[in-house]
Amino acid sequence: MEFRISSEEESLRKIVEEFVRDELVRLEAEFTHAPDIFEGSRWKSRVKTSQDPDIQRYLGIMLELEKKAEAKGLWRLDVPKEYGGAEIGNVAMIALTEELEKSSIPFELGNHVSNILYNCKGEQIDKYLWPCIRGEKTSAFGLSEPASGADPSMMQTTAAPDGDYFVINGTKMFPTFADVADFVQLFARLPGTTGREGVTCFIVDTGTPGYRVVRSIATIAGTEPCELVFEDCRVHKSQVLGEVGNGWALNQSWLGNRRFQVGIRAHGKARRVLRIVRDLLRYEAKDAEKFLGRIGYFLGELEALRLLTYLGAWKADQKLDVRAEAANVKLLGTELLHQVVDFALEVAGPAAMRKHHVLARVFRHARATRIVEGPSEIQRHIIQRALFRDGAASLELP
Amino acid sequence: MDLKLTEEERLIKGTAAQFVDRELIAREGAYLRQAEPFLPPGDPARRDLDPAVRAELVQRAGQVGLWILELPERFGGSGPSALARVLIHREFGRSVLPFKPVSIPEFMFETKYGQGLSDGTLSLALAFDEAHKTGGLGPLQTLYRQEPDGCILRDSSISVSNAKADMFLFPAREQGTERLGLFAIERDAPGLTVSDEVDLTTDGTVARLTLRQCKIPNEQLVGYEYEAGAAIATEQLNIAARCLGIAMRCLASSIEHARNRVTFGRRLAERQAIQWMLADLSIALRTATWQTIETAWRADQNVPYFDEAGLVKKRAAKMAFQAADTAIQIHGGYGVSKELPFEAFYRETRLMRLLFGREEELDRAVGERFLASV
Repeated sequence: MEFRISSEEESLRKIVEEFVRDELVRLEAEFTHAPDIFEGSRWKSRVKTSQDPDIQRYLGIMLELEKKAEAKGLWRLDVPKEYGGAEIGNVAMIALTEELEKSSIPFELGNHVSNILYNCKGEQIDKYLWPCIRGEKTSAFGLSEPASGADPSMMQTTAAPDGDYFVINGTKMFPTFADVADFVQLFARLPGTTGREGVTCFIVDTGTPGYRVVRSIATIAGTEPCELVFEDCRVHKSQVLGEVGNGWALNQSWLGNRRFQVGIRAHGKARRVLRIVRDLLRYEAKDAEKFLGRIGYFLGELEALRLLTYLGAWKADQKLDVRAEAANVKLLGTELLHQVVDFALEVAGPAAMRKHHVLARVFRHARATRIVEGPSEIQRHIIQRALFRDGAASLELP
Repeated sequence: MDLKLTEEERLIKGTAAQFVDRELIAREGAYLRQAEPFLPPGDPARRDLDPAVRAELVQRAGQVGLWILELPERFGGSGPSALARVLIHREFGRSVLPFKPVSIPEFMFETKYGQGLSDGTLSLALAFDEAHKTGGLGPLQTLYRQEPDGCILRDSSISVSNAKADMFLFPAREQGTERLGLFAIERDAPGLTVSDEVDLTTDGTVARLTLRQCKIPNEQLVGYEYEAGAAIATEQLNIAARCLGIAMRCLASSIEHARNRVTFGRRLAERQAIQWMLADLSIALRTATWQTIETAWRADQNVPYFDEAGLVKKRAAKMAFQAADTAIQIHGGYGVSKELPFEAFYRETRLMRLLFGREEELDRAVGERFLASV
């Protein structure tokens, strides 16, 4: 058994560690006053839309960082080799994200490509996949609807075949980035089908007649997901991603192993929150007396989360079934982050609820994570399903 | 990173699992069944393993290397790794039969008692009562003074849980230097008495160990700070590993029962209240499992692991207590009956949460280190 990462992975990790130390940490003071969209990845969208000079200034800094990271060879690390990437494993990606999360700067290694786009074929590859890999195009993911969120098999959006075309009608809720994306990966069902049958995934370009982004919706987390309306939107059959009627499998494989990133991000964020608490307590001996036990408790739980995340990533690298592992990580990570920031506010008091206070920002951001990409209740459902299917043996050692 | 067990580890784990299934779990029915159809009023009697059965089990466990796990090669052992020991204790945790491998600190085999401890003619108990508060041996009530002809231990009195042991490993601090010393004291040493043995809420006992004008030969000062720390960390790992086994058993039985038991026309397994209890338990068990294994791995790699051992003890014991609680709840009336193992697990895990570091103390120690860090 070996819990250390390999020496090649370790040297990559060192590069990121240096990058964080030399480039990110020195920016932290400046970013404490950044607008809310600089928590998480939402800032990326504003490249295209915002004229606000403040946002533009922070954007400039972020784009500069991306260039520096690319120059250091830290780009396209999780892209397959056949597309010019380094194709490093999940464990290595987790180790790198763990380093990045030591800083509060919302910097991610890119470019992130929606994993289901690797199902592109023929002309789709040059038109969508390559531009996404190069960072020239971005995508949105249209699955949830006004009346179906956690259970997408209830979707009502239809795609009716009409010669070489499909005619799409329906409404999609909450795709993030749809307002700035070049296309949406849209899920719709063939007429007359129900449940998981007949679900098909389409690539619909922004600007296709009949497809409108009708509004973006402000959320507690600072993200601004959109509402999309399709009215007799005609899409050519060459825009089908994967096979007609086979969209359910694509929906299920979406995110894939990136789900483990949620765990290590929650871990890093929670540790940063605890460091803030520590700095508050350092000169308040009486307060320290009251709260040290809780801090110790959370540090232990975070260590458990960290290990669970690496375990899941390792299993994913071994090509094992990791659906339940991903659910474990998502559930534990997002719930724990929520508890930690809740505690931190308790220590810091009302002053920390000021809108631009770092704890208040994490507080708002953390709430949404217990919902997006599958709420905690769905994760528990996935976990119990695996438990009753495979029994306690599913907890045996590999 | 490679989280697969090696062939050797898999073999050790398989041997232990087989022993536990065939020798222990197979005997549970007879052990748990009460002798009388109607119980006399009063407390139920303390249960213990039939001495003849115990002797037989000791012999069989010894044959397959599952009795004294720390036994070094020169005494016929294989000196298994910390990880292998965790795998073994984890399997033994699955059975409620009060039978598990003995744990003897490795350095004891270097002393004159090595032979006796390895052939089973001597038994050893840690008199580490004061470690149960903080998880370490900080200030001790017993002080010692070394003189040319032996160490003089100041009069003191502490609790010990293995009153029948032939000898005790007793910690004391040197007067003036505060240096921690570990003394191997024989049961019949002049000045040592063990008295007032009383039942615990578990099926064990606790007794009073008293030192009065005790003088111990210098050669029986057998260890210092590091040996004490290692002994505690080993105990913590053993407890954690046993707790993993207990939780595995509770989880497996609960799943099985929920699959079969029907209420109001539906199986318990279809009830969300039941599903979520088990989902939450499975996460806690998984994290405790991997933390315990990682800590044992650290011990084998000579990476510092004492603090981690305290953490895994705390998390695993708490998790196992929750597992026993859940199993009792899901099994209902059978759950609280002494004919099933869960009530015994419930009592045992509650005690384990109190051993070698109370939860709040361990949390606080982690918090204090964090506060002092940069």
